[in-house]
Amino acid sequence: MTDPLDRPAPGTRPDDDTPEAAKPGFLPIETNWFDRLFISVVVWVALSLFWFRFIEPMGPSIWISNAIALALAALIITKG
Amino acid sequence: MRRKNPWLSILFWIFISFLTLFPIYWLFVVSVKPAVELFSTPDVILRSVYWQNYIDVLNDRTLREYMLNSLIISTGNALLCTTLGFFACYALSRFDLSGKESIFFWTITNRMAPPAVFLLPLFLLMTQVYRIGDFSLLDTRIGMILVYCTFNLPFAIWTLRPTVDGIPKELDEAAFVDGASPWKVITEVVFPLCRPGLAVTLILTWVFAWNEYLLAATLTNFNARTLTTGLSEYVTTTGTEWGIMAAISVFTLIPALIVFGMVQRHIVTGLTFGAVKG
Amino acid sequence: MQSRKLGWLLLAPTLAVLFLFGVVPFFYVIYVAFHQWNPFAANPEMIFNGADNFRQVVFDAGFLASLGVTMAFVFFAVLTELIIGYLLAQAFMKDFPGKAIFRTIHTLPLIMAPIIVGSIWKLMTTPSIGIIPHLLDSWFGYDLNIGQSAGAAFAITVIMDVWHWTPLVTLTLIAALVSLPPDPFEQAQIDGANKRQIFWHITLPMIAPAVVATVFIRLMDALRTVDEVLMLTGGGPGSATRYVGVHIFKEVFPRTNYGYGSAVSVIVLYLTIVVCWLLYVGMLAPRNTKKG
Repeated sequence: MTDPLDRPAPGTRPDDDTPEAAKPGFLPIETNWFDRLFISVVVWVALSLFWFRFIEPMGPSIWISNAIALALAALIITKG
Repeated sequence: MRRKNPWLSILFWIFISFLTLFPIYWLFVVSVKPAVELFSTPDVILRSVYWQNYIDVLNDRTLREYMLNSLIISTGNALLCTTLGFFACYALSRFDLSGKESIFFWTITNRMAPPAVFLLPLFLLMTQVYRIGDFSLLDTRIGMILVYCTFNLPFAIWTLRPTVDGIPKELDEAAFVDGASPWKVITEVVFPLCRPGLAVTLILTWVFAWNEYLLAATLTNFNARTLTTGLSEYVTTTGTEWGIMAAISVFTLIPALIVFGMVQRHIVTGLTFGAVKG
Repeated sequence: MQSRKLGWLLLAPTLAVLFLFGVVPFFYVIYVAFHQWNPFAANPEMIFNGADNFRQVVFDAGFLASLGVTMAFVFFAVLTELIIGYLLAQAFMKDFPGKAIFRTIHTLPLIMAPIIVGSIWKLMTTPSIGIIPHLLDSWFGYDLNIGQSAGAAFAITVIMDVWHWTPLVTLTLIAALVSLPPDPFEQAQIDGANKRQIFWHITLPMIAPAVVATVFIRLMDALRTVDEVLMLTGGGPGSATRYVGVHIFKEVFPRTNYGYGSAVSVIVLYLTIVVCWLLYVGMLAPRNTKKG
């Protein structure tokens, strides 16, 4: 068996030449569509929690944060 | 590399070894002292040995039951994980299954999950969902055996994979050509060759299950309590029986110390997910 | 090859067990986190309440404090382990008689149950029983009381973690150091580089992947440290050593507010996954750029 840390993450195999394989984008690392979806979810959760803590008490609804997160997600998934 | 004189190194390492061993020695010292002597000036040198704490532990019916539970749960879990892990590794190694590397990677991620996070969902699932009529998995030995699979089964798969991969495929292919059934091939051709790897896996999974505390403390109440939970029961706010607590600790420690020599090199490989070969 | 059906059949029990006790709890805890559910409240039913639980979590002072002390604990413990582990690994690079025995002794704490480590250190540090408070008192006149001093309790948990886990760091770094080629070091010595330059410019970059891997593994473990701290201090005094795992065990689990408890668990899980992923990326990124 090879060194497990050399083992690429699922979907990021270098020999994976299918259309959804890794392509360069504005993110600092090589990503495939699953990585970008994952990053979007992480960003969405972080933004929501931040919103609950600091912005919602001042008035703006959580849906604004969700809309921002959705826009960011679209950006990350298409351009990342 | 630099110094030629080995004595400095040896002195340094004697010092480090002392730091490692002294706490364990201290545990032993406390366990063989009567309660009255404990509260006098702490004494490093052992003047007399008082075995009553150990006798008390062995005479305690509850603790004996806990010990039996621990034995049954860790043995059952180790056997289950090693068997399932062996089959899984054989499947991953010999069959052309779609997405098998992803499956392999996914099984490993199960081991990284922080157990504290899973306390609540496991508790709720075991009381509300995983139940047949009046029988729920909560507070049963079989329940604990299954729960421990979440961290031991990935470990077993991880450590067994190289062993099974290392057995030449030609061997079982030849057996298949001779008309042997798959069951026969696995039990009579592959299994004997994997024995050393299986033994290491069995021992380490056993020790991990024996050592586990957090899940045992929350998912059992009475019937399936293990020795580690018994230990925590002796630490109370009203007054801990230090000698008994130390004696239970020694009992819990013994199996790990016995197998330590055999599996020493594999511990590191196991704990680092194989990132380092010990 | 033989039929694939047989392969799946052999894999099935493993997948079933991991699915039932790994995947289902994962999604179940997320599901419950969006509900109000307290079987002992006026309404014991499960009611969907959107993200209200999370609204509470972000203002939960106890939970936020536990996150803070966890980060401090992880930082100090992992940093100390790395430094000591590296020095010990370097010390192991020399040849001296009895090396194998010392190495074996050094590995010993790794196999010990965390709860036993906790109980050992409790016996070492409890005032009037432990040897450490006694020695500190008679040598320096310092009164160590982990039941009262928050700082002392925190420091002892870090020391305990260092005692327990430094061997792992040492052994991983030995493996990295052994595999280094000698040429760059000889070249640097010829060029007149001093020890510090050699360390920063040659050794460290070359063992960086191993260091990152070690940090990653230790961070994961330190984030879920529960048993030993629970045994040693029980999270106290106050909330000085109530690390997130201890917090869930002592403050969240015993209350029957399942929805809220699930939300706390989800947040901890989220943070663990993010930390884990960042380190994983950090580990893979240098390789990816190397590949071009």
